[in-house]
Formats: sequence, structure tokens, C-alpha cells
Amino acid sequence: MTSIELWNHCENPYPFVPAEILDAAESVRASLPNKYCDPEIAARLYDEVFEEYQLCDDIGLHIVTNEHHSGINNLWAASPVITGIVARITKRVRILSLGTLITVRPDPVRVATEYATIDVLSRGRLDIGFVKSGATEMVSGDANPMRIREREWEAIDLIEKSLTVHDGPFSWEGKFFTHPHVNIWPRCYQQPRPEFWAATSDMPTCAELGRRGFVNTLLFGGYDRTRQAFDTYKQARRTAGLPPPGEDRFSYMAFCYVGDTDEEAQRIGQKIPWFLTVSIKSAPQMSKFMPGQIPPELTPAAWRAGASKRPTNMTVESLIAQGQMFAGNPDTVVKQIKAFREQVGGVGRIIMMTRQGLVTHAEAMKSFQRAAKDVLPQLQDLPPIEHRAAAE
Amino acid sequence: MMRHELEILRVGDPNADPLLLIHGINPISPKAAFVTQLARTRYVIAPSHPGFGASPLPADFDTMYDLINLYLDVLDHMPEGDLAVAGFGFGGWIAAELAVAGHPRISRLILVNPVGIKIGGREDRDIVHMFNTNAIELNQKAWHDPANRPPGIYGVGWQAAISDEMTDAEMIALARNWDSLCLFAWRPHMFNPQLKHWLHRISAPALVLWGESDRIVTPDYGRHYASLIPTAQFATIPQAGHHPELEQPAAFVAHVEEFLA
Repeated sequence: MTSIELWNHCENPYPFVPAEILDAAESVRASLPNKYCDPEIAARLYDEVFEEYQLCDDIGLHIVTNEHHSGINNLWAASPVITGIVARITKRVRILSLGTLITVRPDPVRVATEYATIDVLSRGRLDIGFVKSGATEMVSGDANPMRIREREWEAIDLIEKSLTVHDGPFSWEGKFFTHPHVNIWPRCYQQPRPEFWAATSDMPTCAELGRRGFVNTLLFGGYDRTRQAFDTYKQARRTAGLPPPGEDRFSYMAFCYVGDTDEEAQRIGQKIPWFLTVSIKSAPQMSKFMPGQIPPELTPAAWRAGASKRPTNMTVESLIAQGQMFAGNPDTVVKQIKAFREQVGGVGRIIMMTRQGLVTHAEAMKSFQRAAKDVLPQLQDLPPIEHRAAAE
Repeated sequence: MMRHELEILRVGDPNADPLLLIHGINPISPKAAFVTQLARTRYVIAPSHPGFGASPLPADFDTMYDLINLYLDVLDHMPEGDLAVAGFGFGGWIAAELAVAGHPRISRLILVNPVGIKIGGREDRDIVHMFNTNAIELNQKAWHDPANRPPGIYGVGWQAAISDEMTDAEMIALARNWDSLCLFAWRPHMFNPQLKHWLHRISAPALVLWGESDRIVTPDYGRHYASLIPTAQFATIPQAGHHPELEQPAAFVAHVEEFLA
């Protein structure tokens, strides 16, 4: 039997810059001047989202924090600060940091120290997620975008060792990081370490996650890509002679709104795709022309005229059809999640992106309450899914 | 035999004195007029850096240290004769490092709009950021007139030249060059903080050539660069930007031939 967990992921967007400013800007991330960020509004947004997190703690929705920089999409730039606060203002639910951008940060030992601190603060409620990052984040963090996959894995290895060695300093002389004297205090609360997750749909990376047993989460991957990623994970474990993974190894993030009625959910859900239509606008040099983002042989398709047009017609209907949004009354959302689970061969952790785009604090609070009260109970003790031949 | 495999363009009479060309953001094009013109008097040898053109990128190549040592290998394997070395833009940085290292084969050094050093204050950007700047701006700053760019040859701001006429093979090659350039030069962007205070070690006669209209790295940067090299003379080429060898090949070749004569 499988019980699906529901997690709340909010990036704390800042949808208050006038449209004419955003339309004229080359990029709404990395280079948009911070004079357009009113600290009074930001303070209110922090209060609101922390209040949402406290509600989640009361009603049993787990919490995801993340990190992006210098743009309207995300006010969680100082991610360890935010995650530490969440640890302190909640008591029950798990907290996933998804995550500190380890390909941007120069010292993984410092990252491990922050995570150990948060794990202790939360008395063992921290999960640690890794993302490769890229694009505007490389500009904001002045991080070389080349070889970031290698750099990410070395950072993960060093963080893991920092969290799990307890017998005094060890030395690390890697390709990307060196530290002669690693000995973090405090050590983490959970033993041997908090759960590790990684967000990726890159198939070689999914295979490595499978071999390592990390939770593999996909962000808006849709049915086919998600299925392919999870199959790759499972196949890698089979090839390595490892036991098959439980559904709790698989996670999926989708836009989500749970309303009283389908009509209400779809109306409010339509405020969410602002994330795609407005908040990801990036200058070409920070996106399609940034080195290292795609293999050179794939560039012609990406560079030819029209290839990079931003989506502007992301309707709720199309997002739901693609498996990128769950929206409706509670029963509708349950059906959508169950169908998704079947389609992708099993998923144990659904991450809901609800407070996104133009969705208000009150609207988000309502959706969380309905999700916890009327969706979550219907996702407990589910029978095994019917495995399709492709997954075997 | 060199340890590393490199694609090498060779043009001219192998019995003539060799001229090693160290390319900038893209390999030297065999179609470039200046190459043909230089080859009238010199044996032109132009490798593609590892990761550029058809040269493989070894997995353990990460830094300028690797590129510089590889080019010391290249110098060891140059044919007989009076060897001149010319570096362009990013390749000018490599050439300056080689000259500082003092390889005995370098008899003359030509730096064409080189990057590689930090001159201004900490809040002054000496070199326009090639990766963080819009291609249209790069293209305008790199050329006296972008229309002067020879067809099929690409310099700084090449992304602005992408059109339906560009072949997939050209795009793939440019993307690979761009990736490799980034690997070596993202941070610090296009300079070695230590190089400036070692330029005094350069003992070979040197010519620092600059396109007058270069706004990627300005002629003032070039004058300062040249002043740090005891053996250097400085000259500018009118109506040319960051790639004077492409925009004004005749004037460029005249300067080089006069210097090498």
C-alpha cells in the first residue's frame, strides 16, 4: 500500500513590478534593478508565506523551500536563512530545501554546516534537495556554467561526507573543492543524515539518483518525461543489482489549486501560469546562448528563429492535459493525482505549487485547507498500481 | 609527437619562417584574407585550441594553465626558422603568457587586441563581459562596422549573425567554441590577475596592434598593456574593431610584415 504525501512549494514570487517595466526589460531575472522591489511589499510577502507554512504545519502538508536570485520569481534568495526560519516556526511537518544552489556556492562545507544547523533546529525534520541550476543563476552567482554536473556531484559528495563523519577533521582535495580540515558543528540531528533528493529530468542523472537511492523529483515534467525519468531510475537500480525502489523515491511538482468547485479552481489556477508566461523571461545570453546549457549538437534547433518564444497561452486546461497542473474540486484533484500516479508508474510525493503567480494569500490558504482536509485523506493506503509492461 | 591531438591549419611554404597564430574566440578561418596574405612571406601555422574547431577537449583540461602549457608544447614542436607568434584577443592573452614564460623559440611577439590583464579599478570593467552581454551589443562593440564581417567568419557577437543562412554545422562549431571559451575564461572574466606584474619579463620584440574602434577592449587598454611590456611598440588600425585582421586585412598584414621584416 502507498500513501502519497502532499508538499507545499512556494517560491514567494514578487508579481508587483508594472507590466510595462517587465515588457521593456531584457530579463526579469538577474538584471532587473532591485529598485523595483519594494521592501515593504517584500516584508508583507514574507509574513504571508510564513503564515501559510504555519497553516501547513497544523494541517499536515510538508514544506519545500528553494533558492533563486535577483528576480521577480523568487524572494528566497537567502535560502538557508528562510529554511532556518521555517524550521523554527513549524513543529510537525517535514521541510525540504530544494535547495541551496550548490553549483553556485563556493564552499560545500559551509552548505553542510547550514543544513546540519537547520536539521538540529527542526529536530530532524529536514530533507536536503539538490538542483544543478543554470541560466540566470550562473550570472547572478558568477558561477562558471561549464562542467556544473561534475561540480554538483562533487559538492554533494563533500556535503554528504561533512554530514556523516563524526571522528574529527577530514581532508578533501577534489577537482572543484578543497578543504584540509572539515569538521562541522553541530552535527546533523538525523542519523546517518537527512534524506537526499534531487530535482532532475536529465536521464543520466536520474540513473545515478537510482543507484544512490535519492528521491528523484521532476518539476512540471508531464506524463511522458516523468515516466521516462522514473523508468531510468528503476532500470539503473536493476542493472546495479539493487532492490526495487518504493514509490517514496519518486516525487513530482505540479501547479495545483484545490477549490470548492472545478470552476473556482480553474479560475484561480489560471493565475498560476504567470510563472511561465512572465517570470521566466531571460535575456538570450542568460538562456539559449549561455555556455554549457545544452550539448552543442542540439543548438541549431534551439537557436533558429522562433525556437525560444516564451509561452503565452498556458491555459489551465492545457496544463492539466499535459499533467503539469492539478486543479479542481477535491475529488477532481484526487482523480488527477491518481491518474498521474498510474501513468508514471508510481509516485509517492506530490509537490504542489499553489502560491505562485497572481494567486493571493487568502486563495492559497483556502487551497491548502481543502487539500489537507479533502484530498490528502483520499491518497492514503492506495493499492499497488498496475505496472505496465514498459516498466518491467 | 605532442601529447595532445590538435587540429592545425597550415598555409604557405613550409620552408619559410613560421608564424604561429593563436586564435581568439573562434579558430582561424582558412577563408580569411589575412591568412592568405601572411602566407606570402611566412609559413602560417594555426592550431585550434582544445575544445575549439575539431580539436578534442581532454577531460582534465580546465584552466588557462592547461592551455598555456599545451602551447608551450606547441612551441617545442614548431618547425625550424625564425618563429613569430601572433595572438588575437583571447589568444593574445595566451601569447602574452607564453612570452612571459620565456620560451626560447619566440623571436617576435604580436598581440592583436589581447585580453588577459586587469588595468582599471575594481569597479571599472576593462573587458566587456562576453557571456553576460546581449549579442547585439557585443556585435556593435566588436566591429567598426558589423557589415565588414567577412561572410562565414565569426567574431565576438557572432550570435547576432545567426540567420537561416547559417548551417547546422556552423552553429554546432560555434557552440562548442563558446562552451570551451567559457570553461577557460568565465572567472575571472578574460584575465589573469597576476599577469600584469610579470609582463616586464617579456624580452622578445613585441608589437601590440589595436583596432581603433574596438569597444570590447579599448585602445587605451591596449596602450597601457603595451606600456607594461618593455620591448613593445603600439599601433592602431583605423576603421577596425576587435578583429582588425578581419575588418582591415591589408592594413593589418602591412603592420605585421613591417614588424617582421
